[in-house]
Amino acid sequence: MNVQIVYARWLDIGTRIGFAVLVATFGVYVFGLLEPLVPLHDLPRLWTLPADRYVAASGAPTGWGWLGFLGRGDYLNVLGVALLATITLVCYARIVPLLPRVQAVLAAIQIAILLGAAFL
Amino acid sequence: MEWWIWPIALFALTFLMGIVAVLAGVGGGVLFVPIVGAFFPFHLDFVRAAGLMIALTSALSAAPSLLANGLASLRLALPLALVGSVTSVLGALIGLALPTDVVQIALGLTILAIALLMWRAGRADHPEVAHPDALGAALGMHGVYHDAALRRDVAWQVHRTPVALFVFGGIGLLAGMFGLGAGWANVPALNLLMGAPLKLAVGTSGFVLSVVDTSAAWVYLNRGAVLPMIVVPSLIGVILGAKIGARLLRITPSHVVKKIVLTVLVVAGGRALLKGLGI
Repeated sequence: MNVQIVYARWLDIGTRIGFAVLVATFGVYVFGLLEPLVPLHDLPRLWTLPADRYVAASGAPTGWGWLGFLGRGDYLNVLGVALLATITLVCYARIVPLLPRVQAVLAAIQIAILLGAAFL
Repeated sequence: MEWWIWPIALFALTFLMGIVAVLAGVGGGVLFVPIVGAFFPFHLDFVRAAGLMIALTSALSAAPSLLANGLASLRLALPLALVGSVTSVLGALIGLALPTDVVQIALGLTILAIALLMWRAGRADHPEVAHPDALGAALGMHGVYHDAALRRDVAWQVHRTPVALFVFGGIGLLAGMFGLGAGWANVPALNLLMGAPLKLAVGTSGFVLSVVDTSAAWVYLNRGAVLPMIVVPSLIGVILGAKIGARLLRITPSHVVKKIVLTVLVVAGGRALLKGLGI
């Protein structure tokens, strides 16, 4: 089995799903189907602040805290972003068993780095 | 001003940006961060996060066909992406920790350097690599791809791998710190430094980008810097614009577009620099 083809297939499916979720949940957010955590009319005041002050001023979650706010339009939308940021990790995990030894080690280290970044 | 004006303005701007980026052969992120950072009211933290997501999504969308057609090489990409992703995480952490005016100045200087690189850098379709280096050979960085234009298989190998790993570390740092994407640097590094054929360099650059930007994207996401109201309209605008750009590619003189892009980069980079200096 060609490793590149396997990676390409998984990446293609994952990207399509991630992008579809991102756009669909943005619709939910922007049309107010779910109330956002940060009211839309407050955004112009808050998005001029640095990220840490935005978080402090709005009560926005950090780390994986957004998972607790999936009932809010803005953080449901973050789900799409997180899916796009997870696809590469899944694809790497899929191809590790298919790679020659040296490259399998590199891919395994890459997975560890991506996991580290996700939980930093 | 009403909140909804900004996502609409972002969509319109990024739609144009998507067209121009394809015509000029650059990534959307490298235009997005300096232009939106200079002319929109969003804090640079959110602009950099959005730029990174644009570069990431564009790379994720392009990578499957590049990999399937053999125009991106996993063997070549794995070590480079590994080094780049470590430094991109560091870059993102440093970028979020530094004072905004310092980041603005560094961004301005980086954009001006990118404009210079784009203006001066040459390209070689099939650089000669007489002797692959030991590290590249040990990591299996060689192979064959099919060049449809030449209608033949092209064998490739690389040299200067240790230097290239160092360079990709630097590129990853800048990509994470400024959310610029990194095709502007990946392609010359793969092509001119390592000796990879140009088509393979372009394809592999996109794949490396998808891994490097993923690592940095998590840092921005975890720090609360990813605002969907900035990210999503921009992403949709760039992707739709890129589709139109691809259709216009055959009838538009690329050297004219490239001059326009260089001018825009100089203006936006200069503005970022002046903004950082408080002028």
